[in-house]
Amino acid sequence: MISALFNQTTYVAAKKMLDATVLRHQAIASNLANLETPGYRRIDLAPSFQAHLQQALAAGDTHRLARLQPRLQVDPAATLGTRDGNTVSLESELTQLQENLIAHALETQLISSTLLRLRLAITGRPF
Amino acid sequence: MVELLPGVQSTASALTAERIRMDVIAQNIANINTTRGLDGKPYQRQRVVFQTILNQRLAADPGATPQPVRVARIEPDPRPPKLVYDPGHPDANAEGFVAFPDINLHQEMVDLIAASRAFEANLAVLKNARSMALQTLSIGKRT
Repeated sequence: MISALFNQTTYVAAKKMLDATVLRHQAIASNLANLETPGYRRIDLAPSFQAHLQQALAAGDTHRLARLQPRLQVDPAATLGTRDGNTVSLESELTQLQENLIAHALETQLISSTLLRLRLAITGRPF
Repeated sequence: MVELLPGVQSTASALTAERIRMDVIAQNIANINTTRGLDGKPYQRQRVVFQTILNQRLAADPGATPQPVRVARIEPDPRPPKLVYDPGHPDANAEGFVAFPDINLHQEMVDLIAASRAFEANLAVLKNARSMALQTLSIGKRT
């Protein structure tokens, strides 16, 4: 089956992580947009996604990996920084924004290199 | 429609909201000495109130959703005007006092800096979204 070409555990995991990274970027964008909205609680990727991803990777379970769905949730660990009930910290959000950008670069390169290796195996030419 | 730039709704809404905030601050500073407005009273300092918008498209999704922001309202600051003794002023009252708006220039400048920093933070998000989108488009290409 041709789909077997794209069923490697690491490839599927990289795709899921890319989805999660984009979702996380949306969360950070929302947090920074609401930097000064009274009562806003910061949102982030649900930590259960990371745990499920690691379990599925350890088990080598590609089907379970493919079914994983990253979700956002209100960050319960965030502490109140100001008296208006807002839990966003500008510095930590900007740091996470940059981390997320690098994570995204890593994941796209992982996916690209998997695809390029497949192409090399099929054509014998290195592009 | 496909969202090419992730989180662009939130970022764009925040840029608009912060710009409105800067407009209101500029208005406050411009009218720092206005003793007679359109209603005949001294200018009242205005301030913005931010509010999140429920993201309709994602509202059906369980869990939290990215939330854009908007200026809910621009409300007058209820501080009473400060009275300055200046009998020669055309707007002086019978006792010779003129009502000036109670605007603290330092406070307005600090607000202005905070607004422009928030604007810059959102621009940084937009820049990152752009480079992420370009990177995603280059999947499968040889670097």
